[in-house]
Amino acid sequence: MGLEKVGALPRWLVMTIVVVLMAIPLIKPLGILPVISESTMDYYNAIDQLKPGDVVLFDIGFGSGGYPTLGPASIAILRHCFSKDLKVVIMATQQEGAVIYPLIMDKVKPEEVYGAKYGEDYVFLGYIAGVQTAMAAVLGDLHSAAPVDYTGKSIDTLPMMANIKNADDIDVVAYLTTAGEIAEGWVYQAYSRYKKTTCGGWLSMMTPSLKPYYDTGALTGMLDGIRGAAEYEKLIGEPGDAMKTTDILNLTQLWVLILVILGNIAFFAARGKEVS
Amino acid sequence: MYKREIPLLITFLSGMVAVLEYYFPTDATKNAFTVLKNWGIVIAAFALGFGAVNLFIVYGRRFRKAPNPVDRVFSIWLLVLLVITALVGVSLSSASDQYQWIYNSIYLPLGATMYASLCFYMTAGAYKVLRAKTLDSTLLLITAFLVILGNTPLSAAIWKGFFSWRMWIFDVIVSGAYRGIRIGVGIGSIVLGIRTLLGMETGYLGRR
Repeated sequence: MGLEKVGALPRWLVMTIVVVLMAIPLIKPLGILPVISESTMDYYNAIDQLKPGDVVLFDIGFGSGGYPTLGPASIAILRHCFSKDLKVVIMATQQEGAVIYPLIMDKVKPEEVYGAKYGEDYVFLGYIAGVQTAMAAVLGDLHSAAPVDYTGKSIDTLPMMANIKNADDIDVVAYLTTAGEIAEGWVYQAYSRYKKTTCGGWLSMMTPSLKPYYDTGALTGMLDGIRGAAEYEKLIGEPGDAMKTTDILNLTQLWVLILVILGNIAFFAARGKEVS
Repeated sequence: MYKREIPLLITFLSGMVAVLEYYFPTDATKNAFTVLKNWGIVIAAFALGFGAVNLFIVYGRRFRKAPNPVDRVFSIWLLVLLVITALVGVSLSSASDQYQWIYNSIYLPLGATMYASLCFYMTAGAYKVLRAKTLDSTLLLITAFLVILGNTPLSAAIWKGFFSWRMWIFDVIVSGAYRGIRIGVGIGSIVLGIRTLLGMETGYLGRR
């Protein structure tokens, strides 16, 4: 077989190997720990430096498509918040966020694991429409923008909300999203307007376009896709789904590299033949 | 007049309230802006309802007129599921077990699968396209190679230099390019904002 043939592996073979490589870590996790990047460390530190009782506004800005990547990141961040006895105001600027919330909390288990109580230590405001309008409204006058929580209960009756009225009472704004508008929106509304410590997380493919906000200090911390989530899990010492997923990333991306090398070997072999 | 001047006047007044609240934050401007923002939330929520109506119009028409029977089946299937989901959500609330079941058992796996299937296309695409044919494609190939190497914890565990290279590419090349784009977009946004406020930009009214 000529070397140029390695550039024409059948599609089914390429895909089958991808499936096999995805399955291996599910059966036997590799457990390779990621190198902690500076941006993830900054995200972690922004929350870790808070004192018990400080307030984090956490936005679920993703739906089902982003859940495999940003779900584990949300779980890790919220676990970190609850372990520090922080007050967490959770909201959703993406329609599906309200349905994603119970999935996340089922894994965080704030009551069972951390002894946190709904209404005293955390609250969920539900989905608030309008993206940047919603962000501006919540930071401007939270009680007026979201008079009731997800269950329809007046937030005036929730003890923790008595002292959380607007941006002045929020220490850190943290969010995870698959939408560029949400990612930029929090920078404009929380950092530019109120100079709040703002930490953002998103899919890896969004990082290049949003990284300038981190470089210039508008974003204090940045979580870069599933890799960032795995780093966060490592930092809080609770390996979870992100670590498993990065195992899959390890093997499939290695396969991509092998394919790229094979493709180029075939290309140069074919060109060599043409020349000769 | 009601189609052009009144929307322009509303835009101007709303914009001025936002600008005044930012530069002259008095109780009056703050209260006025709070009211506007709350209206904005209500309007955005209302727009979601319009989205559902639009779906009915578009897919209802497709169901009636599409020549391909498969298109008709998918159109009616979409509308049936839309009605079922909406009915369950409205009657039992979106926090109910039934609504959660619909979401967790149907929509969540489908949504996640859609994203995950990209992996297959990207693998096949990288195999077929990333060839060192020209100088440009060689540079792209080298960059992609280094970023993939740096992105995988496995390669970084073998040699941390892969991770440092990736970070250098991101910090210097990518950030440098995107910072320029961001500054351009920022200046453009300011100009667009001023033009919209002054009624010189009417694209959002839906016509030229």
